[in-house]
This record gives sequence, structure tokens and C-alpha cells, in this order.
Amino acid sequence: MKLPAFSKTYADSTVLDFPGMEVEPGRIYAIIGANGSGKSTFAKILSGVLPADRKVALPQSVGYLPQKPYAFRMSTRKNILLGGTDASRADALMKDLRLCHLEKKRADRLSGGETARMALARLMMGQYDLVILDEPTAAMDIETTAAAESRILDYTRRSGCAMILVTHSLQQARRVADEALFFYKGRLLESGPKEQVLYQPAQPETRRFLEFYGQ
Amino acid sequence: MKKIVSLLLVAVMLLGLVACGAAKPAETQAPETTAAPAPVETAAPATEAPTEAALVVDTCILKEADDKMLNTYTAIAVNPEAPFTDADGNAVSDVAVNTAGADALIQWLLSQEALDMAGEYGVAEYGEHLFYVKDNAPVYAGEIAPATEETKVIRLSTTTSVNDSGLLGYLLPVFESTYGYTVEVQSAGTGKAINAAKFGNADLILVHSKSQEEAFVEEGFARVVDGFEAERISFLYNYFVLCGPSADPAGVKDSASVLDAFAAIADGKYTFVSRGDGSGTHTKELSLWPEALGITKEAESFAAYTDWYVSANAGMGACLVMAEEMGAYILTDKATFLTFVANDGVM
Amino acid sequence: MGSALQKAITLILSADAELLNILSVTARMSIQSSLLALLLGVPLGVWLGARKFPGRNALVVLNRTLMGMPPVVCGLLFYMLFSGVGPLRHMKLLFTVKIMVMAQVVLITPIVVGNMETYVAGIAPAIRETAKGLGLSSCKTFLLMCGECVYQIFSVYLLAFARSIAEVGAVSMVGGAIAWKTNVMTTAIMQYTNRGSFSLGIALGMILLAVSLLVNIVISLLQRRLSR
Repeated sequence: MKLPAFSKTYADSTVLDFPGMEVEPGRIYAIIGANGSGKSTFAKILSGVLPADRKVALPQSVGYLPQKPYAFRMSTRKNILLGGTDASRADALMKDLRLCHLEKKRADRLSGGETARMALARLMMGQYDLVILDEPTAAMDIETTAAAESRILDYTRRSGCAMILVTHSLQQARRVADEALFFYKGRLLESGPKEQVLYQPAQPETRRFLEFYGQ
Repeated sequence: MKKIVSLLLVAVMLLGLVACGAAKPAETQAPETTAAPAPVETAAPATEAPTEAALVVDTCILKEADDKMLNTYTAIAVNPEAPFTDADGNAVSDVAVNTAGADALIQWLLSQEALDMAGEYGVAEYGEHLFYVKDNAPVYAGEIAPATEETKVIRLSTTTSVNDSGLLGYLLPVFESTYGYTVEVQSAGTGKAINAAKFGNADLILVHSKSQEEAFVEEGFARVVDGFEAERISFLYNYFVLCGPSADPAGVKDSASVLDAFAAIADGKYTFVSRGDGSGTHTKELSLWPEALGITKEAESFAAYTDWYVSANAGMGACLVMAEEMGAYILTDKATFLTFVANDGVM
Repeated sequence: MGSALQKAITLILSADAELLNILSVTARMSIQSSLLALLLGVPLGVWLGARKFPGRNALVVLNRTLMGMPPVVCGLLFYMLFSGVGPLRHMKLLFTVKIMVMAQVVLITPIVVGNMETYVAGIAPAIRETAKGLGLSSCKTFLLMCGECVYQIFSVYLLAFARSIAEVGAVSMVGGAIAWKTNVMTTAIMQYTNRGSFSLGIALGMILLAVSLLVNIVISLLQRRLSR
């Protein structure tokens, strides 16, 4: 699948300039970079939430998990069923993401970590060609993060979607990604298999980033 | 848990409401005593004013039944062909006025039955006549048309003093049940009552300010009702009364005429509460001041006298309460004053 | 004032026919006008809050200006329009409950709009992002948005009702405070005050507050029940 090239400019400063690339189904692409490197903007434009400078042809079926997903004022279960109608799949996801005991609780009263899990489960109810997750585990603790990561891997492999995972955690990228894209000041500086980008980068900026966040 | 909290909250609010109300009787004795402490002592120095005495009204009638204070009530039917103008001054021709209804009400008010009722009104309650029937009132003896679907609603614009005295509440139900009309009474000061008619919002007016009535007729807003000769139908009267603190520092009681009384008040700069709202009472009061003072309805005219001349711009009752509190002189219609006294000054 | 509470209680217990009439006119006027304002204001407010279009800011500023319109100005406007010499005199609406409701709607709707607009503008971006991310249709998104507003609507209604029942400047002007017809609690309080019957005015004021309290309790309970 082809991701189109696009850019985003505010006033006079270009916050993002993406040259476009090919993605393959069933693979996970980690987007890494410092704060303000354009990661979230990239996710928003690709998902169609934010318009790019020029109109671009986005992939048809895109699932997107925003950084701050909204919890509707209904039960957790009903929230999850907004993503798809398969009840048994909802049960399975709730079990995997440790949401069973919260099934009937009103979602807008969930804690930050619970909301993040609910939102992940809700998105995974659906079937998309391209899925973009923006910091899905930022609010989760270690245990639930592990559960969430295995769900993400499992979902990508089974549904055969191309998965774009925006993350600030280098470790997470190393654990789950197949390929990695490094954004630096709004530009895609380096991309390729994670073994290369996340372990032996070619660019000095990437190296500095790894050194700083690596251990 | 939340339920309990909310229930508690409600309970507290209810308690608060009750407490506010309940606390007031105890509290208010204080303000009311301060309202009229001095007069109470002067009025009844012998009795060591028990709690109830604080409620006795000190303001009393000092001057009455002076021809200058004659207060004549006049009914005028509104002319549908009057030179109505809208807010921009453009002529408006097709103003809806219920002439048949206005005729019926005026004819009934001038019937012997209604005149007798009006003349006796208040005697049972206050032991005094609140209104007298004018000797030369044109009594109507003809037919009165009952209401039809189109003429059913009559809009009567009148002054607060007529309405507040309870006269209309006493008379109108008889008319309404006999002839099937509904009378919608709007009450405001005479000036406003007349203006409502000029805006096409009344079918007839019942007011008490000769000069303003004559202007109304002159401008062509009035109409002669079938069976009557003139536009202005004056049929009831009573007297304005000059009231003030019982101690009467200005010596109003002994003055030769009401004009002297007003002059004495102005001379001594004794506090005087004026309605200041363009009402009939206000108009009458303006005519009683010595001409040299130049007091008119314009605010600039009494700017120099604000140390004793209080322009309240309020209803008669509110002004009476004010005068009582300030120990001031005041011109009032007798009906409202008697109601005021009968209610111990709280009305 | 001392006897105000006593008078209030006596008034209620005596079930004075005129008082009952005043209460029913008040209830009719304030319920009708607050519901109408809700009906007009909520969709408008949701639309203003949820949509981004050129001129939106201008509309928001205009609405905020209208929120600050003095009731007497609104009353005067309606009085001039529907007066016996006014351009809309043929509708014969002056001094009716209908025109009081209309004036109230004009006064309250901007408040409903402003309140909903602020609330929706707060939640709309997150809802839109989430719904778009799940691939929901715009129709479904709108329904979800409305669902989120239900609870806010309750509190906005209370605000509208409170405004409506407490308003005096506009209703006295267009209603004329005609006994048995357009006299509501606030105008009756005004009349009593002008007449100097302060305690009766306070008594009516207490009844007004009690009615307001009752409505608040009922709506809060309803809201609580629904939010479970």
C-alpha cells in the first residue's frame, strides 16, 4: 500500500514534510522521534483528522487511535461495541486487556489506563487496511502495556493490516515493530528495518536520539 | 453515598429557607422599631411602647377636604380614528379599538347601580367614604349592549390609585358577570396610563389628572360615548390628603389653606416625598407648590431642593412607606392612605 | 417583613384563587418559554460548537452580545412591534401569555446557545477524532455527540427555567401584568412593592423560591436517575 507524500505548514514554519512510502500488510511500523518532531501530526494527517497543506489521496480504510481517545458516556462494553458488533470478539478483547470487571462501568469514569485499554479494544473491534495508533500505551502500567503490545502484534498479524505505531518509547518500538521511521524536526530522517534504524542508524541525529533514550 | 449527600443538601436548603423566614420576625422588629421610633414616643409617651406599638403608623392626615385637593376621576373612551402615530412618528390608521366594549363599560359605570356601589365602597371596611359620586355625573339609564365574540375583551388603562384601592376589583366582577365582558385592567401612573392609550393599547382610560385629560381630548384621542355629551366623563371624586408626621413640625395643620401648608413645608425645608412618576397625584402635587420655587416634573427644576424634596418615582404605597420611615410630608389619595393605616403601615 | 413567612404560608394554605392563577400563569409561561428556548437553542448551540466554518466566530460573538441584552430592551422592542400602533398590531398579541413567552424565548435562547456551544466546543474535537478513527459515519457521530449532550441539556434547561421564572423587565412590559391573565409572580411582586405591600411581596418571593427549589430537585433527581 502506498502512503502519499504530504506536508503541513503553520504560518511560515513547516512542521511536517513527509515524502511518502510503501507499507506492507501485516507489518508494524514504529514512528519514533523527540517531542515536536511531527509524529502526532503525521498520524493525524494520515488518518484524515487534520488536513494536509494540499489535498492528498489517503488510504480508503483507516483506523486511528488518537492520543486522547474519547470515552463516551455509556458502559465500557457499549463503548467497545462502537468499534464493531461482534459480541464474542468484544468479550475476548476485554479478557485480554483486563477490562472484564469494568464491563458495566460507565466509560467516562474510567481511569487513564483503563480508558486507554478500552479505546484500544474498541479500535481492534474493527477491520482496516491501515491502522494508526498514537501512543496507545502512554497511560498504561507495565503489566497492561505488555498485554496491549501482544494484542497489537496479534491484531496486526491476524487482520493483515499495515500498522503504524507512534511511540515515544524506544523499547516498545524495539519489542513490537518490524520497521522504524525516525522523524526529526518534521522530516523523515531515516527509515528501514528496525534492526538497522533502531540499532545501527546511519544518521548522526538518530544515533544521538538512541544514545539519549536507549538505555 | 451521593444520594445521601444530595438529600442532606436538600434538607439544608429547606432548613435555610425556613430559617430565613423564621428568623425574620425576630430580626425585623429591630428595623421596624428604628423605622419609627421617635414618632412612637411622641405619639404615646405614656405607654412604654411594647413590641406591637412599633407597628403603629405615625403619619397622619394633616390637611384634607380642601377644594384645591379635589381629586376627580374621569373615564374617557378612546377614539379609533385618533391621530395615532408609531414610534417613528408615522401616522397609523387602522388601530383596533373595542368601541362597543368601551361604551358598555362606561355606560355601566355611569348607571345608578354602579354609582351607588362606588359611593358606598369602603364605608363598611374603613368607616369612611373612599369615593364620592359627583353631583353632576351624567347618569346613564339606557340599554347596555351585552358582549359579543368580537367585543368581549375590554382593555382598561387606569391609575394605580383606582386599582390599589380595590374599587375596580369590587365593581368589575358585577359588570363582567352581568354582560359577559372580560375587563383587562392595566394600572400605571396617569401619565403612563394615558400613553398606553395613545399607543393603541387601551379601549378606555380611567384617570385623575384634568390637564392631561384635556390634552388627550384636544389631541383627538377621545371619543364621545353614545348617550353622553362630552368626551371626558367625570363621575367620581375624593380628596387628596396632605399627610405627615403627627408632630407636624411645619405646622401644616393650622395653616389657612393647603397652598400655605405647602409653602410652610418648603420654607422650613421639611422632608417631602414626591411620587415623581407623572401620575395624577404627582401632577396635583406640582400644582400646589409656591410658583416661585418653579418645581415641575423635570428633574432639573428641583435639583436645588434635593436636601428636602425626595422624588421617589414609585407607587403610592411605596412612597407612603418611605414617608413614614423618613418622617416626611406626602400628598396621597385618601383610599391608599386608609389602606396603608389599616395594615399598620406594612400594607 | 416580620409576617412575611406567615403571610406566605397563609397564602398557600388559603389557596387564594388569584394566587393560584398567578402560579399557573407563571408555570405556563416559564415552562413553555424554557422548553421552546431549549428546542431552538440546543441544535443551534451544538451546530455552532461542533462545526468549523467561516463566520463562526462572528456568530459566537453575536450570540454572546445577545446573551447580555437587557430584558427591558427586549420587552420594549416587542412592545413597540406589537403595540396598538406597532407594525405587528394585527396579530393582537400584546398583553398575552404568548408574547411573554416569545420575549422570554428571545432572551433565553442565546443563553442556551452559548452554554451548549461552550460545552460542545470542549468535547467535539475529541469525539470527532475518535469517531473518525473508528470509521463511524457522520450521522452516527452526530447522534453520539447528541448523546453526550443529554446531561448538559438538563443543566441548561434548569438555567433557562430559572431565567424565565425570575425575569420581570420584559414580561411586565409586554404582558402588562393584567390580573387573571398575564400577571406572573415577578410582576405581582413588583405591584405589591409599588403598592408598599412589602411583606406580601416577600411572601410571593418565598413561594417563587420554593417553586424554583422544587423544580431543581425534580430535575436533579431525574438527571441522577438517568446518569446511572
